[in-house]
Amino acid sequence: METHLKKYGQLAVSLSGVIAVWWIVSGFGLVNQNLFPTPPQVLAAAVELYRDGVLISDLQISLKRAAIGFTIGSTLGVLIGLLTARVFAFSVALEPFLTLLRPIPAIALVPIAIVWFGIGEGSKYFVISYTVFLAVWLNTHAGASSVAGTYIRAARSLGANRFREFFEVVVPAAAPHIVVGLRLGAALAFLSLVAAELSGASSGIGFRLQDARQFIQTDRMFVGLIELGILGALLDSVFVLISRRLVHWESA
Amino acid sequence: MMQNAALKIVEEPQTMTNTEVGRIDVENAAVTFKGPKGKKIEALAPTDLVIDPGSFVSLIGPSGCGKSTLLNAVGGFVPLSGGVIKLDGEPVTGINPDVGVVFQQYALFPWFTALGNVMFALKRFPISKQERRDRAMAALKEVGLEGREANYPGQLSGGMRQRVALARTFVTSPKVLLMDEPFGALDAQTRVVMHEILLRVWEAHKATVIFVTHDVDEALILSDRAHIMSAGPGRIIETMEITDERPRRAHEVTESFLKNRNHIIGLLRQPGAEDH
Ligand SMILES: Nc1ncnc2c1ncn2[C@@H]1O[C@H](COP(=O)(O)OP(=O)(O)O)[C@@H](O)[C@H]1O
Ligand SMILES: [Mg+2]
Repeated sequence: METHLKKYGQLAVSLSGVIAVWWIVSGFGLVNQNLFPTPPQVLAAAVELYRDGVLISDLQISLKRAAIGFTIGSTLGVLIGLLTARVFAFSVALEPFLTLLRPIPAIALVPIAIVWFGIGEGSKYFVISYTVFLAVWLNTHAGASSVAGTYIRAARSLGANRFREFFEVVVPAAAPHIVVGLRLGAALAFLSLVAAELSGASSGIGFRLQDARQFIQTDRMFVGLIELGILGALLDSVFVLISRRLVHWESA
Repeated sequence: MMQNAALKIVEEPQTMTNTEVGRIDVENAAVTFKGPKGKKIEALAPTDLVIDPGSFVSLIGPSGCGKSTLLNAVGGFVPLSGGVIKLDGEPVTGINPDVGVVFQQYALFPWFTALGNVMFALKRFPISKQERRDRAMAALKEVGLEGREANYPGQLSGGMRQRVALARTFVTSPKVLLMDEPFGALDAQTRVVMHEILLRVWEAHKATVIFVTHDVDEALILSDRAHIMSAGPGRIIETMEITDERPRRAHEVTESFLKNRNHIIGLLRQPGAEDH
C-alpha cells in the first residue's frame, strides 16, 4: 500500500515538473507559441474537440482498431509460434518465410494494405494485426523452442502423452515469453495504428493528427500526442498487472 | 508375434525372481557420445551389472566418470551404442513410466502447486479426480509436506522441493527409481533429513533404487551395494556390499563404515581413477 502511494506520489511530482517546464518554455516567449502551444492552449483545444464530439469518437474508433488488430495478430502469433517451435513440418515450412518478413516495418505495408483492403477498416486491421503477429510469433517461438529439457524428460517419464506434454508443459513453460510478446505486441499495435491512420483514414487519433497538420493546429496535435501517451502507458500497466498474475511463478 | 511369446516364456523364469519386480540386467551395455571435432567420447565402456529387485544401489565416482550416463541409459534417456539393458527381462527401448526419476536439477513444474505436481503423475491412470487428489495428498503427507500442498515450488525450500519430487515419483509406485545426485544442492543438515525420508519411503514402496552420488558417506549411509566408477573410459572398477544394519549415521560411524569409507576413498585416489 505504502509503495503504491509512493509510486503515485513520484508520478505526480514528475508530471507536474514536466508541465511546469513546458509552461515556462512556451509561456515566456522562448519559442513561437504557434509551434509550441502552452498547457492552457492545449487544454482548450481538448475541450473544443470534446464539444465537437470527435475526442471521444476518435478514441473509440482507434481503440477498437487496436483491439481488433491486436486480437487477430496475437491469436495467430501464439498459435503459429507454438507450431513453428514444436512441429518440425511447420518450422521447415514457415520459419524462413517469417524471418524474411520480420524486418519489414509496419508503415511500409500501409500502401499495399490500402490497395488490397481499401481505405476502410480492413486495411487498418491488416497493418495492426500483421505487426502484432510478428512480435508475438517471434517471442512465442523463442519461448516454446527453449523449453528446458528436464521438463520434457520429467513429463515423459511421468507418463504424459504428447498432447499433455504440449498443453501442460510446453505452453506454460513458454508462457513468460508469450506474455512478453503480448506486451510488446500491444505497444506495437499503437505504433502501427497511428501509421495506418496517418494516411487513408477519416477518423481516429492518427487521422486527427494529420488533419490538424493541414491547418497547423499544433494545440490539437498536442492533444493527440498526449492521448497516445496516456493510452499507451495505461495499457502497458494493465499488461504488467495481468502478466504478473498469469505467470506468477516467474517472479518467485 | 508367436515366436516372441514363446521366447518370453522360456526367458522369464530365468530373469525374474518369483514375483519380485524391478530387476535390472545391464549386459555389455556401452554408450559413446560425439564430442567436439567429431571425436568419440566413451562415456560408458561395455558394462555388465545385475541389480536385484528392491535393492538400493549407489553409483559413486568423480564427476565425468559416466554415472549419469549409466543412469540415463537405464531410464531410456540415452541410447546405447552396444549391448542391452533389461528391466524385468524386457529390453529398455525408451522412456518408461515404470521407471521413476528424481532429477539433479529440480524438475518440478513451477506453474503447478505441490499438489498439482504430484497429481500430474497420476493423470495417466483411469481414476477419478477425487481419487487422484486423495492419493496425491497421501503421498505429500508421506514425505512430511502436509499443509504445503497449495504452495508453488518457488515458495518451497530446496529440501521441500526434492520431497515433492520424491512424492511425485513414488505416488505411482514405479518399479525402479533413478536418482541423480538429488541432494547435491542441499546443506548437510537437510541432507540427513532427506536420507531418512528417502529410506522410509523406499522401505514402504520397495522399488529398486539407483542412486548417483559423489559423496562417499551418502552412498554408505543409504545403499545395500555401491558400485565405484572411474573415468576414461567410464566404467565400474569395484562393487562393495554394505551390510551394516540401518539406520546408519555419519556421526556415529561404526568400524566397518570407516573401513568401507577408507577403502572407497583409496580407490578413487588411484592413478587412472582421477577426473580427466
Ligand atoms: N550428451 C552428451 N554429449 C557429449 N558428451 C557427453 C554427454 N553427456 C555426457 N557426456 C560426457 O560423458 C562423460 C560422462 O559424463 P556423465 O555420465 O555425465 O558423468 P558423471 O555423471 O559421472 O559426472 C563425460 O566426459 C561427459 O563430458
Ligand atoms: Mg552426473
